Amino acid sequence: MALDVELSEIRDFLAQHPPFDALPAPVLGALPARLTVRYYRRGTPIIARGVDNHSLFVLRAGAVEVRDANGTLVERSEPGTCLGSITLTQGNPSTFDATAIEDSLVLVMPAEVFHELNDRYPEVENFFDNQRAHRMSGAVATLASSVSGGAILKTAVRDIIRREPVTAPVTATIREACATMARVGVSSLLIMDGDSLAGIVTDRDLRNRVLAADRDPGGPITEIMTSKPITGSADAMAFEVMLEMVGRNIHHLPILADGRPVGVVTTTDLMRLEQANPVYLVGDIAKQTSVEGVAAINARLPQVVEMLVSQDATADDIGRIVTAIGDAVERRLLALAEAELGPAPVPYCWVTLGSRARLEQALAADQDNALILSDLATEEHTAYFTALAERVVGWLVECGYPLCQGEVMATNPRWRRPLREWKEEFHTWLTQPVPDAVLAGSIFFDMRGVYGDLSLYRKLRKFVRHTAPESRLFLAHLAKQAALNEPPLGFFKGFVLAKEGDHKDTLDIKRGGVGAVVELARVHALSLGSPGVNTTMRIQAAIKNGVISQERGADLLDAFEFISYVRLRHQAAAVRAGREPDNRVSPDDLSSFDKRHLREAFGIVRSAQSAMAHRYPVSFIS
Amino acid sequence: MGWFSKSPNAMREKALRGAPAGPLRDYLSVPLPDPSTPLDELPLLAVDLETTGLDPTRDHVLSVGFVPVDGGEIVLSGARRVIIAADAEVGQSATVHGLTDDDIAAGAALVVAIEAVLRALRGRVLLAHFARIEDTFLTAACERLWSARMPSARVDTLTLQHRLVASAFTGDVPEGGLRLCGARAHFGLPVYRAHDALVDALACAELYLAQAAEFQAAAKGPLTLASIAE
Repeated sequence: MALDVELSEIRDFLAQHPPFDALPAPVLGALPARLTVRYYRRGTPIIARGVDNHSLFVLRAGAVEVRDANGTLVERSEPGTCLGSITLTQGNPSTFDATAIEDSLVLVMPAEVFHELNDRYPEVENFFDNQRAHRMSGAVATLASSVSGGAILKTAVRDIIRREPVTAPVTATIREACATMARVGVSSLLIMDGDSLAGIVTDRDLRNRVLAADRDPGGPITEIMTSKPITGSADAMAFEVMLEMVGRNIHHLPILADGRPVGVVTTTDLMRLEQANPVYLVGDIAKQTSVEGVAAINARLPQVVEMLVSQDATADDIGRIVTAIGDAVERRLLALAEAELGPAPVPYCWVTLGSRARLEQALAADQDNALILSDLATEEHTAYFTALAERVVGWLVECGYPLCQGEVMATNPRWRRPLREWKEEFHTWLTQPVPDAVLAGSIFFDMRGVYGDLSLYRKLRKFVRHTAPESRLFLAHLAKQAALNEPPLGFFKGFVLAKEGDHKDTLDIKRGGVGAVVELARVHALSLGSPGVNTTMRIQAAIKNGVISQERGADLLDAFEFISYVRLRHQAAAVRAGREPDNRVSPDDLSSFDKRHLREAFGIVRSAQSAMAHRYPVSFIS
Repeated sequence: MGWFSKSPNAMREKALRGAPAGPLRDYLSVPLPDPSTPLDELPLLAVDLETTGLDPTRDHVLSVGFVPVDGGEIVLSGARRVIIAADAEVGQSATVHGLTDDDIAAGAALVVAIEAVLRALRGRVLLAHFARIEDTFLTAACERLWSARMPSARVDTLTLQHRLVASAFTGDVPEGGLRLCGARAHFGLPVYRAHDALVDALACAELYLAQAAEFQAAAKGPLTLASIAE
């Protein structure tokens, strides 16, 4: 060809990166001619927050960082990455900053070319849809990792340093150094030569090298200090430091950052780290022989949650751990009650309801429980089970689980009945549903056996699983109720907030957020006769059965995880600040990253609700 | 621009008076960018000529590639490559340019290529790496075809690179640092296959963007054509 416009270098580059690799060869070959090339020096913005963007940027060489309004790093892009598709599909102005962090060469695609490719090639559209959907998962990951390290022993050393280092100059006397340690109340003292660490003195040194050696306390501290002590790095992992300390049999380790001491880690700090390990907690609860003992151990629960949040655990994991601890408490209290009252006259099963039944317990949870008695139970057994229920419910309050406002507890005779009567109750709910009864009864559809004869619970569950899918009217009522629980989409615009009392101007993240997904998943699970009690499992079952599309389901799971995570983080922050954890999130405590993703998550929940309303037509009942 | 040489626009007007009607005259009738034009508004055309040698009286143009640059943006829609049906056999230089005798036999007449360059170059600064080659071969072609001169305003990325990397004390330049690929490597620009006229023109245009950004970052006010022109 005498005259050609084939920009093979740019075409070949695009051909190596999605979504362009999916384009037919002739389209790909003609694409470079529709682009322009720009160069951004390190430090210059490519897309700026608050400014409109009308192009897709394909990074050709260099590196770009994407940050949200708080400066939180959202993404670090390598060559081949597309930037700007969010504003092109979701609208302007940009809520992110994309800045070249190395000198960068960028291919620029005008908006009309971007939209044309999206319209014509489903692969391209899917790619950008996924990129957008993945931001939800990305948001979760970013949030989790922005707090701190990894699993229990993966905590970074700098996160377990509890105070600024206590120091004395090399010119101090032994007496002066002791006075400082006594005044501040520390077991070790760092001896400083100007800005650098010269040595360390511990209680043990004072005992062995001063008192036992009958040394003059007026002498210089440098005589008794350990010179040039072993140190740890603030960036090291706690387990590395622990190995070092155990290996060398030392109890105090000065921690340095940039060559300067930033604190001291003691063996006690590391033990404290281990104590908050939920595995130990569950074990400790099972060993208690008194209610006071159980309550004392369970008082550590908020710290466990705080720690788990700061260690990247997912909301799903945290829910399971809090549930496991709650189960351990209940089992121990029931065993203690049986020890007091004697063994039960007929078999029974203690069941938990609501969030703990779904393995999704957070802090600030009421107790919800019930008793399924064997059909052998008669009038004469009432006294025993009344006493059992009253003891356990009362003790649960002592252990930090408040009474249920709606009286859904085993102390309520209505929820302490033989299996036969439970089946009748469920049968009435399912076959002759009235809206109020559906509302009151929905919590019973999240039930899990905790203690006693679990076969009683399993029989009841089997009955419900078989009856529910046929109960169209009931499902329609339940769906209607679930759809009424609208996520607060207007939260970020018009501020749909509680307007009175202590909860003024806050968002109830439980009711409209977590609760909305829980109810939705429950409707789907019941209609499928699915055995899953957990919301995540229920959504997965709905996806598997084609009730929710793969894509919508994945979005919904991410949205649920994100909303739950924000809720747990809110509770962890309350614990850290010494406040009672609750479900009321103030908008001031949310970053723009949170707000943006919450808004998106609520949007996903809302659209899943409409799809559900469509499936179980409300017109059927209204 | 020296004090004693005439400005490109003055030379252009002089050449215009003697130029016959046709593509060269059309090129000459459009004023070249004023030296006071800020770089972010400056229109340029990155041009690369692949030739059989360095002497325009003896050697032949084998292909021409060009791509426009508008301020800080390379406009790929304006990119072209023209292969020329040269009289001479390619021989040895085929290994350099990757053009075979067959390619060249199917090529266009030199006049077609020069016309395409002149059309694209109207009102633009000629941008090239070691621009003397492009200047002398284009001028020689115009004199042969239309018996008239082809003055141009020029920016040379080789000169700019020399200004950027030469030691202030010794004038020394790192080995290979002024060659197109070496200069691009200095800025971390991607490695391109060399000696395709269009790829080289694009490579030169990208290098120019990086160099302009570097000069601008070190400057106090907005830079103009005068500060970078030959």
